[in-house]
Amino acid sequence: MKIVLIAQNTFREAIRDRVLAGVTVAGLALMVLTLVARPLAMGEGTRLSVDLGLSSISFLGLLVVLMVGTSLVAKEIERKTIFNLLSRPISRPVYLIGKWAGLSGALWAVAGVLGLGLWTMLAILGHGSNALPIAQAVFLAGLELTVVTAVAVMFSALSTPVLSALYTLALFLAGQWSDDLRRFAQAAPGSLRMLLETCANLVPNLPLFNMRSLAAAGESTTVLHLGVAGGYAVLYCACVLALAAAAFESRDFK
Amino acid sequence: MSQNLSKPVAAPSSADSHPERPSHSHSSGQSAMTAPGAAVKIEGLTKVYRGNWSMRTSVGLDHLDLEVQRGEVFGYLGPNGAGKTTTLKILTGLLKPTSGRAWLMGESIDRVESRRSLGFLPEQPYFYDYLNGIEYLQFVASLSGMTAHNASRAAKHWFGRVGMGDRERLILRKYSKGMLQRLGLAAALVHDPKLVILDEPMSGLDPFGRRDVRDLILEQRERGVTVMFSSHILPDVEMLCDRVAIVLKGKLERVATVGDLVHNGDPRTEVHVVGAPMLEQPASWASHVTRTERLGESVFTVEGEAALQQVLAHLVQTGATIRAVNPLRATLEQLFMAAAETSAIRGQSQRRSA
Repeated sequence: MKIVLIAQNTFREAIRDRVLAGVTVAGLALMVLTLVARPLAMGEGTRLSVDLGLSSISFLGLLVVLMVGTSLVAKEIERKTIFNLLSRPISRPVYLIGKWAGLSGALWAVAGVLGLGLWTMLAILGHGSNALPIAQAVFLAGLELTVVTAVAVMFSALSTPVLSALYTLALFLAGQWSDDLRRFAQAAPGSLRMLLETCANLVPNLPLFNMRSLAAAGESTTVLHLGVAGGYAVLYCACVLALAAAAFESRDFK
Repeated sequence: MSQNLSKPVAAPSSADSHPERPSHSHSSGQSAMTAPGAAVKIEGLTKVYRGNWSMRTSVGLDHLDLEVQRGEVFGYLGPNGAGKTTTLKILTGLLKPTSGRAWLMGESIDRVESRRSLGFLPEQPYFYDYLNGIEYLQFVASLSGMTAHNASRAAKHWFGRVGMGDRERLILRKYSKGMLQRLGLAAALVHDPKLVILDEPMSGLDPFGRRDVRDLILEQRERGVTVMFSSHILPDVEMLCDRVAIVLKGKLERVATVGDLVHNGDPRTEVHVVGAPMLEQPASWASHVTRTERLGESVFTVEGEAALQQVLAHLVQTGATIRAVNPLRATLEQLFMAAAETSAIRGQSQRRSA
C-alpha cells in the first residue's frame, strides 16, 4: 500500500514535470516529421514512419530516464525532501521501489501516448492494420524503459545525479551491445572469454526488447517472446532493486 | 504571518489513524526490541562520522543516555554541532547509530513501526515543489497509516489550523520560509501522533509565528502528546518545557527541570531602597551583599535567604524606604554558558592529566 502511495506521488511529480510534457510533444512532432521524409523512402514510407516512430519512443524515454530518473532519489536527498518520508513508518526498500514504480508508470504512459499517436497517424494514412505489431513493440519498449529506470534508480540512490546519468548511459549502451559482446566473447581466448561472458550476462539484455524492424515490416512477434521479455524484465528489475535497497539501507542522511 | 493559531480546535477523529498500532504487550522474545514506559529512551547512543575518502572521523554523539517521559515537553539544547540534530535524526531513522540503542514509545528505532506514532519536523523543512499544501498533507497522512478519507479530512483541518486555509491551491514552490515552517508543523501533527519531535521549530519564524508554534506545542501537551524539541531560542524553551537537556560536544551535560535549573544555588535578591545614602553597611554583609546606586536609589544585591532577612530588618530599622524586593533568577542562557564553560574546563584538566 505504501509502495502505491509513493508510486502515485512520483507519477504525479513526473507528469507535472515539464520534461515529460516536452518529450511527449517532441515525440509526436517527430512522427509528423517522418511524413515529410516519406517521398524519399522509395515506397517504404510506412516502414520508415514505424521505425522512426518506435525509435523515438525508446530514445525519448531514455532521455526522460537520464533527466528525471537519475536524479529521482539523489534530488530528494540533496533537497532534504526525503527527511519527511523516511521519518514516517515506511522502510527504505519500499521507498525505492515506490520511486521506481512511479517513474516507470509515467514512462509507460508516455510510451502509450506516443504509440497511440503513431498508430493514429498510420491509420489516417490508410495503414491502420499495423496495430498489433506497434502495440507489441510499444509493450517491449515499455519493458526496456522499466529496466533502464531500475538501473537509474539504483545509481541515483548511491551517487550524484551527474554520475548516475553517466553510469546509466554506459550500462544502457553496453546493454544494447550485449549480443555483440556475447559473440565477441566466443571468439576470445580462455579467461578473457569468461570475463566477457560474465559482463554480457550482467548488463541488461536490451536487444530482447527490440522488435522495431519486425514491426516496421508489419510483422508481429510470438507470445513466447513477449512472455520471456516480461519475465526477464521482472527478474532483472528485482535483482537491481534488491542491490539498490541493500546499499541504501545503511546510508546516512545528514 | 499574523494568523492566530491559539484557538484550540479538536482534531478529526483518528479512530483509524493507527490501524496497525502495535500493542505494548510483547512476548519475551521481543523484549530486546521494546522498552515500555518512556516516550523516548536512549541508551549509550554513539555516532561516529567517517569521511567518504579520508580516514578522518568525528564524533557526533558520545554514549548518550536519555529518557523523555510520556506527556512531557522536553527541550533539547546545545550549541551548533553539539549533536542535537544527530540525536533527532537517529531517533527518526535518518541516521544509523554507530552503537547504542533507542526506543520510541516502547518500540526499538530499528523497527519501522517505531515511527508509526511519531510526528517529525526537520530543521528548515523542504517539500515537493509541484504539490499544493493540501495534497502534501494528504500524502504524508496516508503514509503514516490514515485511510484516504481521514487523510483528506485531517489535511484540510491542519492546513487551516496552521493559518493557511486561504491558500489551498498555492503550490509549494511559491511558499515563503515561514509558510514552509507552518506546513512542516502541520505535516508533523496531521496523523495525530503520540510523540512529536521538532528540530528547531521556531527557526525562520517572525514573533507571531513563534507565538503560534508555542501555542501549538502547549495544546499538544494538554492533549497528552509528548513533545521533544531542539531550539536555540532559550526564552521559548524556558516558557514551554517541563525538562531540559543540555548536550555539548556529543555528550549529555545536564538534564533537569527548568525550575531546578534556574533556581539552582543560593537565590539572589535585589532590594531597591530610597533614603539610605548615608547608611553604613555592617561588616558582616561584605561577603554576600553588594550595593550600587541607580537613578537616585540604592540597590542591594543579596545572596541567600538568611542574609536577605538580616538586610531587610536592618533597612527597616534604619528608616530607609524599601521600594522593591526582586528575586533574581538565573536565565537559561546563563546556565547554558556556564555548562559550556564547565565542560571546557573539564576537558582541559582531562587533557592535562593525560
